[in-house]
Amino acid sequence: MTAKSGDSVSPSASAFTSDSSKSTKRVPPPESSESIQTRFRVIASFWAVIIFLGFPIWWKTTSIYRAHLPIQEMVDWADGKTCRPVYPLEIHVAAPSLQLTESQHLLRTTQHTLDDLNEFAAHHLRLKLANDTVAHTGDDKVDNLDNRPSDADAADIALTVRVLPEEGLVTPRSELQAHTTQLDVFYPPSQIPSPSTSNPPLSTFIAQELQRIYGEEKATIAHILSGESSALDSTSPELTESISRRLRRSMQYAETYHLSFSLFTPGSAPSSWDIEAAIQEYLAPLLHAFSPISNFTIDTQVQLYATFSPMTPAPVYDEAESAWTLKKEDLSAFINAAEWPLNPSIGSGPTLNFILYVPDPSQSPMIVKENRASSWIVPQWGGVFLLNPQLEKNQANPASLSQDSLQSAFKTFSHQLLTLLGTPSTPASLPLRLQTLVRIRAASLLLSASSTMGSLARLTESLPSIPIPANVASSVSITLSHLSAACSDLREGRFNAALASARIAENEAERSFFEKTMVGQAYFPDEHKVAVYLPLLGPIGVPLVVGLIKEVKRIVAAWKARRRAAV
Amino acid sequence: MTTFSFPLLLALAVTLWSFNVFASTEYHEQLFLQPLPQSSLLASFNFRSNTSQQSFDNQHFQYFPRALGQILQYANAKELHLRFTTGRWDAESWGPRPWGGSKEGGTGVELWAWIDASDDDEAFAKWITLTQSLSGLFCASLNFVDSTRTTRPVVSFEPTGNHRNAEGLHLLHGTLPGEVVCTENLTPFLKLLPCKGKAGISTLFDGHKLFDAAWQSMSVDMRPMCNSEDDCVIQIEQTVDMVLDIERSKRPRANPIPRPLANEFLACDTSKPYNSEDSCYPLEKTTDDAWSMSEVFGRTLNGVCPLTGPDGTNEHSVCLRVPHEKQVFISEGSREVKKEDGFTRCFNLAPGQPFDLSIPEQAVNTPVPLEDPILNAERTIVGHGQERGGMRIIFGNPSNTTAVDFILFESLPWFLRPYIHTLQATITGRDGITTDIPASDLVTSTFYRPAIDRERGTQLEIALSVPAASTVTLTYDFEKAILRYTEYPPDANRGFNVAPAVIRILNTADSAPVYIRSTSLLLPLPTPDFSMPYNVIILTSTVIALAFGTVFNILVRRVVSVDEAAALGAQTLKGRILGKLVAIRDKVRSKGTKVD
Repeated sequence: MTAKSGDSVSPSASAFTSDSSKSTKRVPPPESSESIQTRFRVIASFWAVIIFLGFPIWWKTTSIYRAHLPIQEMVDWADGKTCRPVYPLEIHVAAPSLQLTESQHLLRTTQHTLDDLNEFAAHHLRLKLANDTVAHTGDDKVDNLDNRPSDADAADIALTVRVLPEEGLVTPRSELQAHTTQLDVFYPPSQIPSPSTSNPPLSTFIAQELQRIYGEEKATIAHILSGESSALDSTSPELTESISRRLRRSMQYAETYHLSFSLFTPGSAPSSWDIEAAIQEYLAPLLHAFSPISNFTIDTQVQLYATFSPMTPAPVYDEAESAWTLKKEDLSAFINAAEWPLNPSIGSGPTLNFILYVPDPSQSPMIVKENRASSWIVPQWGGVFLLNPQLEKNQANPASLSQDSLQSAFKTFSHQLLTLLGTPSTPASLPLRLQTLVRIRAASLLLSASSTMGSLARLTESLPSIPIPANVASSVSITLSHLSAACSDLREGRFNAALASARIAENEAERSFFEKTMVGQAYFPDEHKVAVYLPLLGPIGVPLVVGLIKEVKRIVAAWKARRRAAV
Repeated sequence: MTTFSFPLLLALAVTLWSFNVFASTEYHEQLFLQPLPQSSLLASFNFRSNTSQQSFDNQHFQYFPRALGQILQYANAKELHLRFTTGRWDAESWGPRPWGGSKEGGTGVELWAWIDASDDDEAFAKWITLTQSLSGLFCASLNFVDSTRTTRPVVSFEPTGNHRNAEGLHLLHGTLPGEVVCTENLTPFLKLLPCKGKAGISTLFDGHKLFDAAWQSMSVDMRPMCNSEDDCVIQIEQTVDMVLDIERSKRPRANPIPRPLANEFLACDTSKPYNSEDSCYPLEKTTDDAWSMSEVFGRTLNGVCPLTGPDGTNEHSVCLRVPHEKQVFISEGSREVKKEDGFTRCFNLAPGQPFDLSIPEQAVNTPVPLEDPILNAERTIVGHGQERGGMRIIFGNPSNTTAVDFILFESLPWFLRPYIHTLQATITGRDGITTDIPASDLVTSTFYRPAIDRERGTQLEIALSVPAASTVTLTYDFEKAILRYTEYPPDANRGFNVAPAVIRILNTADSAPVYIRSTSLLLPLPTPDFSMPYNVIILTSTVIALAFGTVFNILVRRVVSVDEAAALGAQTLKGRILGKLVAIRDKVRSKGTKVD
């Protein structure tokens, strides 16, 4: 039995001319419309199964889940359209010796002068008259960042200015207390501003003092917010340079820093150091002051027989200095990263390494050639201090380093720690510098979380094939809500709250950006899949497609014939 | 009843244990050398340092390595034992193991730790943290110790330190029998030492020699040692034991290939009747090989590590066990001290000067006595075929008087499914008579935790007793699982490693633990042809396409008779092409006839 495709229902004998002599050609009867109908149904049902069952299943099983992300909002944050960080600093002025009207006048004129001086609108100082109770208890209440006002809605008090009369002064003088957030301004009693004078010298003086105190902070924040390009006009190039250098050197903000103190020596001595006492004495107060901003863990180690790497240029003896000198450009190779066990501490948070290097007696004293320094900072990594014990000729290093001999090293380490954490160098009061650090950190975290959001938005836009799990979407929404919380906290002067929000925003932003499941583990290129399934799809697809084409042809022909017939 | 062929080593271990643990010195190191039969040399290095519990908790590390200390704190591990072992200890020739086997592991890497945790899940999470961190620290694949390779032995191990909170401690044990121990594990090991291989006995370590040894085992042990409730120290002890083939080690590195001796240098037994120009029966050597430390280790010992000893000098940091009558040359500046036992001598090294010792070739009259081991154990896989197999473990008790009680600890991978009901024992006396006895006659207790596929392996601990002067053979059957396609390693046809069995001997003379480990085994599993999935895809695709095509054609095509088909055929493309071809042929033919 031979089966032939039965599409042509009207075969004509004229089609074959040359090979007509062999057998009697009998044309089969035209197909019944019933069988044509059946064939049509068969093909249609096959295609229906493919279209309504096969394709949806294939689509469903191979599609990737992409949670909805508020792309536009994220891009707006990254472009800085949503939030312009502002820093209204609340400064309390207490003038217990002045009349209320006098002090109000002083306040008004000082504020006026300040506003005239200020050129960076985002950062402005708001003076406020302190009620007497605050003014009197001011020195013990605001002495620590821990004791910030318990009322969460109230703005943080950045500084308390106490205006005090002092006999025998010609011009006003000020005194910034090193351990509190209090500025004492002493003025000669003769200069009590009368309500009539529009610009009393005392107001000008106070305004200038405040401007001086917050000058570096303003420049830093302006630098962070504007990027590398434009700083304030009034900042000196030196200050700009020092700010950008500090920002380059300082670590990324983290909740916990691991501090690792290591004693390295090329020989066998000193093999012990009075490290616990030294840390307790020289470092613990500083770390305590930092506790509202970051936490610290400390570990220490002693590493003997720590030699330089063979690539490091050896120190050179300098006759003039009578010391062994290291060239400044070689300092980057000082640390033998391959052999010295300086692996980061376990746990989240970056590690800051502080290295106390005691040179061999044959190479002691050791200093840096260019500036005779004995310490340097390794940006974003830590600091090194060369400790040269006082030695007689041919004397070995002491077996143990006492707490006193570590004092200079730990003073340097504290300074390096402040620099590495990004603390500004002015003003003199540590609490004020830490407050400044809070504001700087809040600004940089806000910016970094925003730009991470922008990167994530761009990434998901540009790669349509990566999945977006639901937890990324929730992280993004947490980030955005905390970003706006941080922004409004800043606007209202609650900087610690702003830092806390910005910290959460940053964490969530990082988590969403580095979500592991967004990157496929197994990747099969399309060519591979086609090659594997071609043995199935080819033999099945060809008859189906051919059947479909023939059926379409037949329908078109039938339709044409009917039209012709109608005409 | 039990005597050790290493009385000195044990004595050393015990004295160090009892005296030096709480001594003022915080660091101690010692090298012990002993020539073994068959021209082998056992070199046993021991390094130990202490740190007070308080400075450990505050992370002030002096001699204790900071990296390891932080890992232990992060993982809440209170006691840790890590072993890297290669090769096989030849107990028949070399006698019992150094340190009573307590400082060696099974082939590959073995790790066990007591972890402080509130429940099993937390302990396991901490354990995973621990293995991941140690994997990075020691450059070993310890991160592959997952739940299938982790067991929780009940009776096989006991903490060696003093623990305050013993109830909250969870013992976890993991092995990697397939891990190849090599130099990349030695470098981090050396970094943990305070003198870092720059001074003291650790200067002798050379990766080429160490991993060329017939057997070597590196260990790291960390444990707390307490005098009283508040007076605790954390002790870290590192050991390296190796058995070097003296002749092989003496080969110069420039010319490491052994070459045959010329005929005139061969020592032949001329009394043999067949002795001639071209046949030689080698004469047994009457003298021991000459060797020196610099030849065998490839370098000299560089002074002493100045941290040891109360005054910075290290007494007896190198000891040698040869008969006193034997001549030993040592470097200038160092002093030899002979011990009373007639076999041991120790050396006081001059600080800062290289030390070497050499033994000339000389006749041996009183060889160093080697005792029999307490127990000989051997484990093999028996049976054939892809489906089933059997395990056979042979225990020999060399003692004529005492039975040996011990615990056999097996941690089997999940794809080896043992049938515990097939556990059988035969006992063979010295007379060679074998009797089958029920296993329950020998087994005093069993701890069994069956495997769960892909989740955990079998854990089997059997307490056994082998009577005096007899050999016990323990057998059980197992079934081999078929793995999933992706579970096979790249070298699947090599076989799958089965971790060595650990044998803990119970009734030892003193409290010192004695362990024996069997060799690791290779289990051949049924391995598929790995192009199989593609073959399967193509075959099934073809079958489906065939079936579909047939069904579809029957449904869609029209059935006509043959002559009708011919008429229809001309209509189709094929028919038309055929018609054209025939027409061309006819034309050509007619032309041909015209020419004719």
